Amino acid sequence: MSQQKDKPSRREFAKKAAFLSVVAPIAGAGTLAESLPRDPAQEDRPPKLPADFPKLSEQSRAEAEARCETIVKQYSGRFSAEQKEELRRLSYVAQPPLDKLRSYTLQNGDSPALFLKPVVEREKKPAPAAAAAASPAKKP
Amino acid sequence: MIGEEILYLSVGELSKRIETKKLSSVDLTKAYLDRSEKLGPKLGAYAKLTPEIALQQAEAADKEIKRGHYRGPLHGIPYAAKDLLAVKGLRCTWGAKPYENQLFDYDATVIGHLRRVGAVLLGKAAMIELAGGMGYRFANASLQGASKNPWNTKCWTCGSSSGSGTIVGAALAAFAIGTETWGSIVCPAAYCGISGLRPTYGRVSRYGAMSLSYSMDKIGPLARSAEDCARIFAAIAGHDFADRSTLPIDKAAFTYSASLELGAKPLRIGILNNAWKKIDTAVAKVYGAAEKTLRKYFSSTHSAQLPEGPFEEAGGVIISVEGAAAFRELIRSGKVAQLIDPLGQLSGYVNEQIAGADYLRALQVREILQRKMTELFDTFDVLVAATQPTAATPLEANLETDVVYPDPLGAIGNLCGLPALSVPCGFTDKGLPVGMQFMAKAGNDAAVIQAARAFQQHTDWHRRRPKIA
Repeated sequence: MSQQKDKPSRREFAKKAAFLSVVAPIAGAGTLAESLPRDPAQEDRPPKLPADFPKLSEQSRAEAEARCETIVKQYSGRFSAEQKEELRRLSYVAQPPLDKLRSYTLQNGDSPALFLKPVVEREKKPAPAAAAAASPAKKP
Repeated sequence: MIGEEILYLSVGELSKRIETKKLSSVDLTKAYLDRSEKLGPKLGAYAKLTPEIALQQAEAADKEIKRGHYRGPLHGIPYAAKDLLAVKGLRCTWGAKPYENQLFDYDATVIGHLRRVGAVLLGKAAMIELAGGMGYRFANASLQGASKNPWNTKCWTCGSSSGSGTIVGAALAAFAIGTETWGSIVCPAAYCGISGLRPTYGRVSRYGAMSLSYSMDKIGPLARSAEDCARIFAAIAGHDFADRSTLPIDKAAFTYSASLELGAKPLRIGILNNAWKKIDTAVAKVYGAAEKTLRKYFSSTHSAQLPEGPFEEAGGVIISVEGAAAFRELIRSGKVAQLIDPLGQLSGYVNEQIAGADYLRALQVREILQRKMTELFDTFDVLVAATQPTAATPLEANLETDVVYPDPLGAIGNLCGLPALSVPCGFTDKGLPVGMQFMAKAGNDAAVIQAARAFQQHTDWHRRRPKIA
């Protein structure tokens, strides 16, 4: 089917919009936008973010959006519109440090400092393997 | 009549007068109380003054000293404690509205230690709400309002031990106790032209102190000199059965005597060249001159570099997650909305969402960093840098947008629980103090004290007094 054929007529659009203006407060504000056909080129491009939001990869952006959504859902009714927007910004701002931390190379065997044990108690580092091999073997 | 010049004396100098009965603890306490009542409210210094406790403790000190029972250098010396340390029967607000009526029926271990050595509690110092644990943008993010800098009352003292900084800087007490999770002792010390010791993690018990970040919170003194810090540290350090994070008895305890350095080896000083990526010109100029003084008096000074990696990010994740856990009830109940700072009202919700895998990853990075720092301390005993890249900031500055700089030094020092001591090292053209920070390997608090004390023996920046308008 051609794209032209998929597009609703002006009358159909007006009818749908009028219906949804009544339903939207119950069904959620996103319903109208979701029900309307989209330009595929526009769809690929994520919506523009305010200037004070950090630039993120698509995956990180999705994570930040999900984080904000979870908070708003979990504590529904607690935040003003302004606070929701600020939560969204904070969810984005929290992302770059996580991305940087995740990109740092770690080995499977790297152990976490599960609680902070200052190195004062640790034993002196073992001698390098080469030096150990060079020393003569002792009889048991 | 006790004049300002007496109130600005160091603990060492005051204690000599008290021991020899040239000065009574009651007179000294009254003088600090008068000054605190007069200047404290203007400077936003205190959460609460406790004159009844102070005078009772001062009278007891004088009686004991008269009887010949002198307990040591803190006997009869007035001090203030950050308002996150429990004192039996006194309100402990943690600087935050949701806790404004909070009472404890026991004393924090630190308060108990100071009582046992005869120190006199003048009051509770103002602080940033929850020690900044939920984030904050402005200096006034405190139940007590913004703490003002004695050197310029239009400037801030830095947080979160903001009141402790003001109190010592303005001579409202001889010393104060602060806490640091990331920068909250060394920064107020630098901004207020005083000395501040962040001890090794685990050397000072946190029993009875508000917990923000279990693996990063430390308690330490703010005072007039490195030597004063050492004396106070000796009184509050030690293993505590009530705090499982404290180090074993032999590693936690600290003994100080002024002759400590006589038998000590010369220190190998590493002057950090990558502590700050960006530093204010005025601060760089002052610090540069101080560095020259340092090179003159220490025989072994070499350039040093901090390891690079996502250490600030790891520190940030650890504090965020541990803070969200510590204040989970506050967040979940919605009472977090009662915090003053708009950022503090919301950040906890975001921090609560950080994944466990990311927290563990941050702990893995911490372990790697600890190894790297141990290697660096094979070469150096003490690392030195400017404490902060800026001097005190204006009270109205937005900390999220106006005062932003990378802080690898603070991240590394606090992630690894390393001791640090900040001392004044000069003043900018605008008359604001600049701090120099000494940092050593965990457990080697004596090295930072030795280095800072040596620096102060050759300089007099720590003896300068502000003219409070």
